[in-house]
Amino acid sequence: MKKKLLSIILAGTMAIALTACGGAQAAGTDAGASNSGDASAEVRLLNGKPEIDAQLQELAKTYKEETGNTLTVETIGGDTNAADELKKMYQADNMPDIFVIEANQAATWDGMLADLAGEEWTNKTGFELTDKSMGTIGFPYTVEATALGYNADVLKKAGIDPATLTSPAAYKEVFETLDSKKDELGITAVLGWCAEPANLGWSSGTHVFAQYLDAGLKADDTTYLDLLNDGGKIDEKRMHDFAEFVGMMNQYSDPALLVDGTYDQQVAGFKEGKYAFITQGNWCVTSPDDVNFECGFAPYAFEDGINTIIAGPPSYWVAYSKGNVAGAKAFFNWCAGSVAQDILVNEAGLVSPFDDCKFEAVNPFYKSMKSYIDSGNYSGWHTMLKKDGLQNVTCQVFADYAQGKLDADSFTSTMAQVIQSYYAN
Amino acid sequence: MREFSPGRKAMSFAGIILGLVSLITGLAMAISGSGNTMRGTLLVAGVVLLIAGVYLFPTLKHHRTIINVLFLFPLLFAFAVTVIIPLVLGIGYSFTNWDGIRVKGFVGLENYIRMFRQPGFIWSILITFLFVIFNMVLVNVVAFLLALLCTSKIKGLGFFRASYFLPNLIGGIVLGYIWQFVFSNVVTKFTEALAGNRYSMLSETRTAFIAIVVVYVWQYAGYIMLIYITGLNTIPGDVLEASSIDGADKLQTLFQIKIPMIAPTVTICTFLTLTSAFKQFDVNLALTNGTGSVASFFGNYLTNGTEMLALNIYSTAVINNEYALGEAKAVLFFIILAAVSIIQVRISNKKEVEL
Repeated sequence: MKKKLLSIILAGTMAIALTACGGAQAAGTDAGASNSGDASAEVRLLNGKPEIDAQLQELAKTYKEETGNTLTVETIGGDTNAADELKKMYQADNMPDIFVIEANQAATWDGMLADLAGEEWTNKTGFELTDKSMGTIGFPYTVEATALGYNADVLKKAGIDPATLTSPAAYKEVFETLDSKKDELGITAVLGWCAEPANLGWSSGTHVFAQYLDAGLKADDTTYLDLLNDGGKIDEKRMHDFAEFVGMMNQYSDPALLVDGTYDQQVAGFKEGKYAFITQGNWCVTSPDDVNFECGFAPYAFEDGINTIIAGPPSYWVAYSKGNVAGAKAFFNWCAGSVAQDILVNEAGLVSPFDDCKFEAVNPFYKSMKSYIDSGNYSGWHTMLKKDGLQNVTCQVFADYAQGKLDADSFTSTMAQVIQSYYAN
Repeated sequence: MREFSPGRKAMSFAGIILGLVSLITGLAMAISGSGNTMRGTLLVAGVVLLIAGVYLFPTLKHHRTIINVLFLFPLLFAFAVTVIIPLVLGIGYSFTNWDGIRVKGFVGLENYIRMFRQPGFIWSILITFLFVIFNMVLVNVVAFLLALLCTSKIKGLGFFRASYFLPNLIGGIVLGYIWQFVFSNVVTKFTEALAGNRYSMLSETRTAFIAIVVVYVWQYAGYIMLIYITGLNTIPGDVLEASSIDGADKLQTLFQIKIPMIAPTVTICTFLTLTSAFKQFDVNLALTNGTGSVASFFGNYLTNGTEMLALNIYSTAVINNEYALGEAKAVLFFIILAAVSIIQVRISNKKEVEL
């Protein structure tokens, strides 16, 4: 009997010891929750860009030194989907105070994001994310642009002025010229465009498709997005023009890359000067050391007069309304300031969305991006507001077109059918 | 009959009552979101006291049952937490419009009706069945042949066994990426030279499907081979000796002695290949991510030519952000898998008796 009693006491002690360890942690979390209005309490930030994790850790260190406030950066990324991870964190009652979302995910968090309207930083940018019911919810931490990236040195050598690239006819002529001078210019192909769907579906299905939705429109014009979100309708004439242009891209792209290439091959080819154009954005070449030529952006001019590139924040930082909102607001205001921007621009290689930022991004595409943004010739990232997962459907149509299974007419009709069917089901 | 001491009775009742009070208080604190740090301790102490109280419960008649339940409890608890509760919750969610965060309302059978309206989902079911049939036959045939090879008297048996088994030790995702490279960079050299086709096998639905089958057989045959080797080694030597004295040739020995004698092994192997092929996910995700077009399936142009059921469920929930619809598909997946497995085991057991 004594033995049994002893074992029960031992088990009980062990249990208490175990839960006491957990208790300390629980106490920390609870303290954070109860201080939800305290700017000096710890703020947890969930970052979705693993490539800038080190720089964000440095940002947190500087934030602590400058203000005494603690910022904890947790990074998710690579193949892990931040949106999915956040749902797990929500179910586990472990939500960070600041987290990353894409514009179309705002609806998922309806009623749970803090309204940041009236904060100091909102006066310094036009790129914040706003929502009809929740107000100003997204802090833009970077601006990214996508269009047809070009190697300015190759174009110059071929006697081409990129400013003339505002019509399909101009593109046709330029592509023909470059194609005929491939050996002379030392390029493998005119264009580095890859329609491989399994790993690069995001590129064709989201970014290139974005050009159909936005090219040539003002940043706040959502004509084709509204049409798309109205049961999956498309403008057939515009889609057909777009299809003709994509057909030209297929024709002049590197055949070794077009159907089953990879992102690495595509970007490496452009960096090595093998392609005059690339169908990516400013993220594909981030450091001046990567290239020994000048880079720029040209619009996807599939209709006459299209002269815009797509520019804006692809994702935002938002504040969880049940978290440390005061702390998050304090951090956002500090983050929009000079010291933080210095780290984000000069070390993380991001492009600042703030008007008063005096740092020039090191990104080789920056000059070109800035000239489009300054002159107002940029369209929005409305492709992020299409129905979730649509890119996985449309990317396959791009792939079939690249393989020659479809022509411009059947590309248009197939696109119409798959999009409508995706929205209907 | 032995009487229980009053001390034991008191301890038992005190344990049960105190345990229950402590357990309920701890649970109430956790549910109400109380910040009290003692809630975990209360909960665990409650469970321990309750178990001790039940163990000391003054009964001779039910003592054995109590002990059985107590000993089974850890296992049953873990099984309930990881399998039963998620299953029940999952079935419940499939009747709502859960988005992974909140349940906004009950929708009845809408998700079940919607999934059958998706031609892509029907396609996924069909190719999953096709994949299972191909794999069940191919993996077992290849594995059995390898097992015969590895139980023969050739030199370097250990090396062969290890090499055939090795692919099974590589994770499916890694394997998928390795083979993706092989199909896109190595196989294309041959197909271009032989058939003039410079595109990867993975870019065409039919050939991509074959590619997945090849990779899966390559990965799984080694594992099944080991089970067959064990089966073949259990055949008593005297039976084989007797058959050879009776003049049976190699083929006769194989078909009339060896195969009937390893019938239970065949059952296990077909069951394993059947269920694992149904649940195919990682190689599918890494190799093709479900891509591939089907020009006309009931008049629809499909873009998920190589998407098996498990991947379809994952894409629906995680990529397309339709968690409730994904749950409904998962419930159907569970029913199909359970039904097919039960039928398969029944048939195999019958066959075993006949053999």
